[in-house]
Amino acid sequence: MKKSLNTVFASTALIIFTACSSLQVTEESVSNQAVAGVMVSPKSQATQAVLANAVIYFEYDKFTLTSKSIQALKGVVTLMRKNPKIMLSLEGHADERGTREYNLALGQRRSESVANYLIANGIKRNQLSVKSFGEERPLSLGSNDSAWSKNRRVEIK
Amino acid sequence: MKNLAILTLIFLPLVCFGELFLEITKGSEDPFKVAIISFEGNSAVSKKLNKVIRNDLKRTGEFSLLDQSLLLPLIVEDDEINYRDWNLLGMDYLVAGNIVQTNNSIDVNYEIYDIHKKKKIRSSKVFGLPNQLRQLAHYTSDGIYESIAGIKGIASTKLLYVNDVKSKNLNSRYRLMLADSDGANEQTLLSSSEPIISPAWSPDGKKVAYVSFETGMAKVYIQNIATGKRDSVISKNTQISSPSWSPDGKYLSLTLYQDGNAEIYILRLRDKVLTRMTNQFAIDTESTWSPKGNKILFTSGRSGSPQIYELDLRRLNAKAKRLSFEGSYNAKASYLPNEEGIIFVHRSSDGLFHIAMKYKKENFIRILTEAKMDESPSVAPNGNMVIYGITEGDQSMLAGFSLSGASFKLPASQGEVREPAWSNFLR
Repeated sequence: MKKSLNTVFASTALIIFTACSSLQVTEESVSNQAVAGVMVSPKSQATQAVLANAVIYFEYDKFTLTSKSIQALKGVVTLMRKNPKIMLSLEGHADERGTREYNLALGQRRSESVANYLIANGIKRNQLSVKSFGEERPLSLGSNDSAWSKNRRVEIK
Repeated sequence: MKNLAILTLIFLPLVCFGELFLEITKGSEDPFKVAIISFEGNSAVSKKLNKVIRNDLKRTGEFSLLDQSLLLPLIVEDDEINYRDWNLLGMDYLVAGNIVQTNNSIDVNYEIYDIHKKKKIRSSKVFGLPNQLRQLAHYTSDGIYESIAGIKGIASTKLLYVNDVKSKNLNSRYRLMLADSDGANEQTLLSSSEPIISPAWSPDGKKVAYVSFETGMAKVYIQNIATGKRDSVISKNTQISSPSWSPDGKYLSLTLYQDGNAEIYILRLRDKVLTRMTNQFAIDTESTWSPKGNKILFTSGRSGSPQIYELDLRRLNAKAKRLSFEGSYNAKASYLPNEEGIIFVHRSSDGLFHIAMKYKKENFIRILTEAKMDESPSVAPNGNMVIYGITEGDQSMLAGFSLSGASFKLPASQGEVREPAWSNFLR
């Protein structure tokens, strides 16, 4: 005997197997699940004055920094040293290829790579917020190399 | 819970946003041949019920139904069945039924006859409210399927998926949706302007877990379907993702990012005790439980590329065992319901992503789909059907196939749909 989900009938499903060799006799009530929908309205993020803004790009499936990225990050380090109180948000992203959860982890590895470079150059960990949006927030829509290369990135804000 | 405080919670009316459209593209080569005599009753009710039952059975790919136009509606009496005539028509089974409708209830009575054995094999009654007609039809087709195919049907199970509708200025509205297994009766569980990914069912079908970015960071929530009550599962300031429920409903496996890298943890829901399961410099994520709850599968980058691993939970400090060796990308694996194998996303040498399966007894993988960006396979609880996400043109939609060879598509009524998750048996 199985209990129905929020069934509108007080009765529970009744399944009878007769003793007779192969005739199956059943009687069952249909259950309907109640559903309550929820809407969430994210609070808009407090924005800080833009001091360091850069985008670091990555190769497919990779999270290592290229020499070009390091040039861009040197500028960020200089700026951070002059303004030791600012907080930086490092947001990692992936292109659409591959699974969403693995891409979330890959985006995180990319922002960690940037964080590690900054920390190695004297920036404090507590000045950095390191996160990932995986493939959920593409900069460029489209399924081609050009769009993909723009989407494999860490946005420094 | 702190995160929830800043959110406005509005209970949405139960609006139907339109339905996924079911399209059956292919069928099995050796199906059960079944004649269904149109269930008699009120004509509008009868027409709808018959249509849903026939579609449910066709979608399994295991049934070839005799064209209804060849059959005259007739009342079938047990002692009047001319088995020889049905046999000459090439039928294996005959299904006959009727609908009895009163003001506030509908009874569906049906009988199934085995033409070869020349006897009745089932006599059933399903009853419900007039507004539960589709459910009545699904219960009926599940009964027919079970008697003929010998395993439980999945027409009365449900699907979760994510719907993403972009407005003109490219802002998205993300919705976590619940629908019948044929895409009908679509209802919104959660609506948000921020991404929602990785929906997962509780084993009893009463709750869902998912990842929402509503706070600006990936977090896992558990939501009660009936009440809409929802909670963030862990109040840590770290990203949390990839929830999967243990078969007994007591634990949730998760990916936490507090170690600077994706690592798998198991959360005991009763007291929120967290146990770390992986400790690797590489990415570990996408955990799913074995049907018996004694193992988990997960994706790890420890070999240099994403591959599938299995971890035995009964042994202390067990070493994860690698299960995938073909190709440089195998991910998001789950067990088949009897643990006879695993199904996962595989990147082939041409760089395209397909759904693949590997049986325990075989030392090769079977590639099951042929589009270019197939993702997120989810297996029906009877193990005979798989639903997954495909991209056609630049449109994402759901597609499915039965292991007996049928395939079907569920294009969205609006926007894109992806990340399907098949419920357990609900009846």
